[in-house]
Amino acid sequence: MVIEKDINEQIKWAQINSDVLRSMENPRKAYWITFFVCIAMVACAVVAEIYQYRTGLGPSNLNNPHMWGMYISTFVFWIGMSHSGTLLSAILHIIHADWRKPIYRFAEAMTTFSLMTAGFFPIIHLGRVWNFYWVVPYVSARGVWPNFRSPLSWDAFAISTYLSASMLFLFIGMIPDLAICRDNARGFRKKLYGALSLGWVGSDKQWRHFRKTYLLMACFLIPLAVSVHSIVSSDFAMSIMPGWHVTSFPPYFVAGALYSGCAAIITLFIMLRYFFRFEEYMTLAIMEKTCKLTFAIAMVWTYLNLIEFAATWYGHDVYSKEVLIAKATGPYAWIFWTMIFCGSVVPFALAFQKLRRHMPTMFVVSLLLNLSMYFERWMIVAPTLSMAMEPHQFYIMYASVVQWAIVFGSFGWFGLLFLVFVKVFPSVSMYEVKEMVFHRRRLINEEAAAKFHRRSGDPQPGAQPA
Amino acid sequence: MSGKLNRRDFLKALGLGGTATLAGCDMPTTVTLEEGKEDVVSYLLPEEYVIPGVGVTYASTCTQCNAGCGVHGRVREGRVLKVEGHPDSPINAGKTCQMGQALVQAHYNPDRIKSPMVREGGSLVPATWEKAQALLDEKLGSKANLAAGRVAWLTGTVSGHQRALITNHLESVGSNHHFAVEVVNTNVWSAVSRDMLDDPQPQISLDKAKLILSFGADFMGTWQSPVHFAGQFSRMRTAADRGALIQVESKMSMTGGSADLWVAIRPGTEGILALGLANYLIANGVSSASLPGDARDKLAAYDMQKVSNATGVSTATIERIGKALKNRAPSVVLAGAAVEGQVNGYEAVSAIMLLNVMLGNIGQTILPSGKFPLQQLEAKVGGTRDLAAFAQAAAQKQFDVVLVHGANPVFTAPASLKLDEALASVPFKVVMTQFPDETAMMADLVLPVSSTLEDWGTHVAAYQAGASNISIQQPLMEPLYDQTRGFGDIVISMLAMRNAAQYGSFKDYYGYLRNVFANLKGAGATASLSPDEFWNNSLQAGMIKIDSTPRKHTVKASIAAIDAPAADANFPLTLIPSARMGLFDGRHANLPWLQESPDQIAKVVWGSWAEIHPSTASKMGITHGDVIRIESEAGGIEARAYLTNTVHADAIAVPLGQGHTEYGRYAKGRGVNPLKIVKAAVDAKTGELALFATRVKVSKTNKNEIILRLGHSDTQHGRRLVRTVSVDALKRTKGA
Amino acid sequence: MSLKNVMENWSAYRKDAEAGGHHTYEHRWAMSINLDLCIGCNACSTACYAENNLAVVGPERFAKGQAMHWMRIERYWDVEDKEYPDQGASFLPMMCQQCGAATCEPVCPVAATYHTPDGLNAQVYNRCIGSRYCSNNCPFRVRYFNFYSYYESAWPEPMHLQLNPDLSVRDKGVMEKCTFCVQRIRVAKDKAKIENRKVKDGEFTTACAQACPTSAIVFGDTMDPESKVSMLWKQHQVTRAVYKQHKEDPELRGYRIFEELNVDPSVMYLERVRDTTV
Repeated sequence: MVIEKDINEQIKWAQINSDVLRSMENPRKAYWITFFVCIAMVACAVVAEIYQYRTGLGPSNLNNPHMWGMYISTFVFWIGMSHSGTLLSAILHIIHADWRKPIYRFAEAMTTFSLMTAGFFPIIHLGRVWNFYWVVPYVSARGVWPNFRSPLSWDAFAISTYLSASMLFLFIGMIPDLAICRDNARGFRKKLYGALSLGWVGSDKQWRHFRKTYLLMACFLIPLAVSVHSIVSSDFAMSIMPGWHVTSFPPYFVAGALYSGCAAIITLFIMLRYFFRFEEYMTLAIMEKTCKLTFAIAMVWTYLNLIEFAATWYGHDVYSKEVLIAKATGPYAWIFWTMIFCGSVVPFALAFQKLRRHMPTMFVVSLLLNLSMYFERWMIVAPTLSMAMEPHQFYIMYASVVQWAIVFGSFGWFGLLFLVFVKVFPSVSMYEVKEMVFHRRRLINEEAAAKFHRRSGDPQPGAQPA
Repeated sequence: MSGKLNRRDFLKALGLGGTATLAGCDMPTTVTLEEGKEDVVSYLLPEEYVIPGVGVTYASTCTQCNAGCGVHGRVREGRVLKVEGHPDSPINAGKTCQMGQALVQAHYNPDRIKSPMVREGGSLVPATWEKAQALLDEKLGSKANLAAGRVAWLTGTVSGHQRALITNHLESVGSNHHFAVEVVNTNVWSAVSRDMLDDPQPQISLDKAKLILSFGADFMGTWQSPVHFAGQFSRMRTAADRGALIQVESKMSMTGGSADLWVAIRPGTEGILALGLANYLIANGVSSASLPGDARDKLAAYDMQKVSNATGVSTATIERIGKALKNRAPSVVLAGAAVEGQVNGYEAVSAIMLLNVMLGNIGQTILPSGKFPLQQLEAKVGGTRDLAAFAQAAAQKQFDVVLVHGANPVFTAPASLKLDEALASVPFKVVMTQFPDETAMMADLVLPVSSTLEDWGTHVAAYQAGASNISIQQPLMEPLYDQTRGFGDIVISMLAMRNAAQYGSFKDYYGYLRNVFANLKGAGATASLSPDEFWNNSLQAGMIKIDSTPRKHTVKASIAAIDAPAADANFPLTLIPSARMGLFDGRHANLPWLQESPDQIAKVVWGSWAEIHPSTASKMGITHGDVIRIESEAGGIEARAYLTNTVHADAIAVPLGQGHTEYGRYAKGRGVNPLKIVKAAVDAKTGELALFATRVKVSKTNKNEIILRLGHSDTQHGRRLVRTVSVDALKRTKGA
Repeated sequence: MSLKNVMENWSAYRKDAEAGGHHTYEHRWAMSINLDLCIGCNACSTACYAENNLAVVGPERFAKGQAMHWMRIERYWDVEDKEYPDQGASFLPMMCQQCGAATCEPVCPVAATYHTPDGLNAQVYNRCIGSRYCSNNCPFRVRYFNFYSYYESAWPEPMHLQLNPDLSVRDKGVMEKCTFCVQRIRVAKDKAKIENRKVKDGEFTTACAQACPTSAIVFGDTMDPESKVSMLWKQHQVTRAVYKQHKEDPELRGYRIFEELNVDPSVMYLERVRDTTV
């Protein structure tokens, strides 16, 4: 078994700066093509939304039992996606898993951008979009308040808090790097980074404050991340509908969120590594660790799935049981089984080192995992609506072009934000990679190496084989 | 007040008309003062009887079908908003059916004809009333050269003073051709009742019955007086000893949906089952004293097994029905359109009436009706015989002028009658209608008539529930369009052309009614009232009670042999063109509420469908939603197959109502009209068309289309939404 | 209601909410529907269209499942696999059950659906933002959403003149449902107030009950012990605010649909009687 270093500790600090800054240089043709594809996708959504805004929700094909559709499932999907950044940067930060360092930045950006994408959906899906702010408890002269009992108004709190906190966290974590950018930039960029780096000079005092703030934010963000998806899950769990009224939904949602987040990290990991030639930083070793983490989460998700099925199956709620059976056999069965296959079987690819190290395979696998996660969200929303208590209203919904266009466009929007991000901000944390390299270099002295190797059960340097 | 008072003044006096400046047809919501056309009336200064925001109720009569239910119209700020049942009406006792509810939609229908239309150069073009009147004068006026019998009226069921005027008009033009056309009718039942009981419209008292045996009579949907019977049915159900309903039919009707025992029977064999039941009853000790002497022998031919073979009803079920008839007295046995619409419909209905005679129901649940003293006002009940008769007469070029009102024969006539061709050959066709229907589109002159809610009228329902009544229809609001005229006004004006001496003094129909009401007063028990008092009281009540002499039932039972319809290998199925509460015979297809209101059993909306039994369908590889072609000797139609076990395996049911080629935006081009492929066989005795006797064959096309339905589940999935309880439990809880 | 008010009265508000929203009802409008009398004729449904300005959506939108039948007649078959049914159908008039512990109410993010002191689930069209959560959480699925602006398409001139001015025509994006003809309730209450008396039983009724040809629907105030509907509830030993009825005589026909969900519906149905002895 090869024990590989997470990073080459001999890499020069200047090299790190130049490699990362290089990724922010003028984009190549492929970038622009992708960029305009994303813009076109967003344009589709904008046109569709304008049409829907003017006509009402009718063109989306939502109907009486199916009052919610892909808007809500896509919303949950994007919220879920946002959990990756928090997991990698905040949770792994406080448990000192330093392999996160080269990859957490883009994961955090993903968090912010997927939240910025997700946030649109509850608004778009409203019948009267122009009144969306009524769910916010602003002080009205007429003393009208939102209904604090409704999970939807909790959503408004949870998502806005989480979005602002994760943006702040992303920004704070970038300050030292922005200073590097400032020092290496000219003209307008210099002014921009100068303003954004908030006068960072790297003094001892600044570092101390920075560390504390960063840790504090990390600690603050973790419960927030858990709560936000628990609250999203309560949109369903707080109802009395069979298949929605499930106690295990909050952990199930969080697990699913982490799962889709990790899968998305793998996808973007491979893309960034390939396009920006980040092989030195986004090493296979880190990839492997990410994959193992994903695998573990996949198993947790599978377990929670089984729990949900078992609880329903052995429970006394006939309606829920019928919904469960309908999931597996009804009109959405193919979606259900794809979800189970891609979500619980495909991740076993992550258990094999050979596959883990094969980037094209991992790319496909990560996409499949996210497909499963998208389907999972659909399976949460749709079957319950299509067959709840009242058999007269058992009906399914076929999403219209409008609905598809808006969902499609949301991916373009996310891509657009991300593309802008990688060209404006360093997508690999320079200062933390340096830190990582520095720590590794300290370890490279022989004594440390001996310790390290012994712990790993490897033969001592220079020792004769037995 | 005399006949000189015009309508507007009258309405003002009644507390209604002045609102026209305020609201109503041309409500000045955006008044352009520059034009100076409208009067601006502030809501703060309305007429003293108009209270903004407060509705006033006026009594009138519903004309959506011929039952003549009394209605109360709620009028607010000069507009009719809603129609409710008239609580004091002996017919509907404050209740309405969905067609009655949709009366306002017929009134406010966007497809109403708004001005007269004259055929010029092959197409109908809008014209002024002056021109229309001139044309009428030319063709029907005093100078017109009319030979005797060259004018014909073609109407639906018509009664009251409208009928009297039509009769007078025919007289004035030297003719007597009044054809009344109605697809949904009970004429065979009436003929049998007349012959067997000496009473064409015997009173049915379902509420006194302990058992209703209905052979396809959709008595709560389309049969005679549906709302009235629904009320009786309700009382029968809630009586201390709950009455039961056995429905025997080839396609489940709305009434069948409430049956305690529903029996599917081979189409056209209901009469055989009735004779079989008579035989069973005699064999089981029911007296045959009231029957003719040879009854026993004649009936003996209908033994259980033979009847079972012919009808497809199991012997056990026949026995079950027989036992119920025997044990539950009094009962009532009814026959519906599917029994009447056979070539031997008369005999079949006679056999069914025979059961009533045998079971002693005559006098118990079938009671004598009152003989309406004013014969000229009695309903001229429409039928399909006149449809055929008219087609024949017109084809023989017997008429120079045809006046059509209240009927759409071009739509309802089977294609084989070639009524459209015959009508086209008439030189001058006047159609008085609200809507651009198929018949109107063929007319030379279309006269837009007022809606029910804008017009005067009196109605005498063919089926008189309880005491005899003249129901009054009064305008509840100003006409929506100033280019429409009341039907009565038109006829009065035509009469004045021929007979100025008698009718010239009447300005309009209102004036005529005021005049004749003075005479009606004597007919009621209100002789002491002044004419004005009587008039006002009558309007307020919405009806005038008429003292009628009760008929006496003299039973003249007769038995005729009934043969099952001959099998036909080429046309294996029987077409059931069933009417339903809602679109009825198609006259309500232009009312969106009723289009969107589902069929009561199939739950289909907005289109046609063909009900076919799954076993029949599977033989032909037909699945739900397949577009199938239904062909008879007279033609073919295409409809979506609706697989259901509520239709007999030997039948295919295509409900009436759709298939309009004209008739406004809601009806046009939607579905198919099964009447078009009906073969024009007739019931020998009455001459009525045998609408339910057409044999058809079915073939598949390659299309499969969605059948629009309300609701997506036929079963309750174990939900126990509708819970049931046995009748024993009901008895134990004393009917609670 | 200010924020201060909310803070100060929080515990009262919470308790109130737990008990279903109101402790003191002025009226408690309720229905009794005798399924043995329902003939499925749709008169109620059409009357509802006429009274409540319901939009006719047309076949295309109907096909999508966007129809608006506040009052709909559900038709079920009890036995499916026979060659022919041996009895009629099961008809079920279904409309908003005006639940005492309505599941639609707590989930609305803007409190557009709330409980009135009359025991009704009011839908405040002006407040509704169209999240449609209420419909998703309604076990009866009786809430209808305005997927379009129907004003132009459903009431072409002059059909708009028929619109009942006592209630609004809902625009796109708003949820709507049966109100127990709240406009009639208001008129009756106002009239009673002017005349300084209580609302009399039978003084008014809902459009569906008024039309019903078999009088299967009885509407009234259960706070008035003398009302017909109160008597019926009492006679059938159906009580409110329970999820399981404890009847002395279990054969009594009254029941409430989805009562076991503890939603406390205000509509009592009477079981359909099946006479298999004929």
